[in-house]
Amino acid sequence: MRRAFLAITGLAASTTALVVLKGSPDATQVAQNLPTAQPVNPSGPGTDPSLAPDAPGVDPAGAAPKPSGSAEVSTSPKPGRTTARPSGTKTTAKAPSAPKTTTKAPQPTTRRVTGPPVDTSGRYGAVQVQIVISGTRIVDAIALSLPSGDESDIHSADVRSSYDGSGGEVVKKQNANLNTVSGATSTSNAYKQSLRAAIEQAF
Amino acid sequence: MRAALTRPGLCRVEQIMGTTITLDLADDLPPERLRGLADDVFAWMREVDARFSTYRSDSEVCRFDRGEVLLSEASADLRFVLEACADLWGDTDGFFDAYATGRLDPSGFVKGWAAQVASDRLLAAGAGNHCVNAGGDVRVRGLSPSGEPWRIGIRHPWDAMAACLVLTGTDLAVATSGVYERGRHVLDPRRGTPAGGLRSVTVVGTDLGLADAYATAALAMGVTGIGWLDRLNGHTHAVVTDDARQYHSANLPATD
Repeated sequence: MRRAFLAITGLAASTTALVVLKGSPDATQVAQNLPTAQPVNPSGPGTDPSLAPDAPGVDPAGAAPKPSGSAEVSTSPKPGRTTARPSGTKTTAKAPSAPKTTTKAPQPTTRRVTGPPVDTSGRYGAVQVQIVISGTRIVDAIALSLPSGDESDIHSADVRSSYDGSGGEVVKKQNANLNTVSGATSTSNAYKQSLRAAIEQAF
Repeated sequence: MRAALTRPGLCRVEQIMGTTITLDLADDLPPERLRGLADDVFAWMREVDARFSTYRSDSEVCRFDRGEVLLSEASADLRFVLEACADLWGDTDGFFDAYATGRLDPSGFVKGWAAQVASDRLLAAGAGNHCVNAGGDVRVRGLSPSGEPWRIGIRHPWDAMAACLVLTGTDLAVATSGVYERGRHVLDPRRGTPAGGLRSVTVVGTDLGLADAYATAALAMGVTGIGWLDRLNGHTHAVVTDDARQYHSANLPATD
């Protein structure tokens, strides 16, 4: 819808520009961006439709005044309107676009509902899930807390010096476009329980 | 080149084996065909769960462990898994031990193996572009829906929402074993105590069952596991230690 709308406003704006600039040879440059300029122009020179955007302007360049005259004939009703149009089309063009944005903006009222912390058999802490709801759809589920294990301190110097791989640098975070993630199995039951509770609270 | 709003293929997620199985089919096949392929994958995963679950007392693994099923009566799948686990016990100096908990539990091999078999079947069925993720064990083949090699993140051990490395490829088995989700659930089979020193171990190869088992074994070895992984033929690795240091093979298929 938005694309079609932009195309129409673009068409309206550039046809007016075309008509306004019709006297000058620069008008052909404007026409290059116009797919709908093709049906108008081929009627005159009768060149390849594929080359139409350039052809009509370039071919008749030798007889510059004539093609512009022929174009004038086909678009002759327009000049009359153009004086009214530039203001008219622009205002009507902008008017519908404004309500669209305003109607779309209020819709995504997102709200967040948090499930209760669910213990993972007591040893590794709790799992807690929050869901983000937009309208009637869940758009995200966030793990607020995940279990953690005991950490024993070791030092990188302990790693064998005969190691061929690279390493020893502090682990970094990457946020790239990913298709999937490899990781240790999650405590899915606790996660599911908290998620389910959040969903039940929300709906 | 494709329209931004649509993509070929199909993506489906189900909870099986106590974990999340994600299937991403990237082949541009008819919808019915894709649904049929996905149905077959998840039916296989449920079959594996019914046969190998240690949480179901009626599973073949549990009945075999109790002596109710003889080896000669066991299914071909169970016999294959038992043989593979015996080989892995030898290959890992005993650190991959399907009997580490005192009873038969081949889960450290089965999850990756099941996903590997699913991927092999998809390839044979003419769907050579796919990604199977079984609870963090990943098998990718061909290209992703965007037409580029698959990009596989390795989960950051301290941030579930971030990746610490990104791998890319068209034929990879990536298995990660870590202590950050279930605590120190991997035991050092020689001491009988939880393994320490390593936070996360990722093994990359072409057989997901082996990669899964090797990752589990290296995690159980602790810091010495890094040197062991370094000498492992046909596989690359990435390790994060408890003090947040990262080590990886020089030829790891990592990218930015």
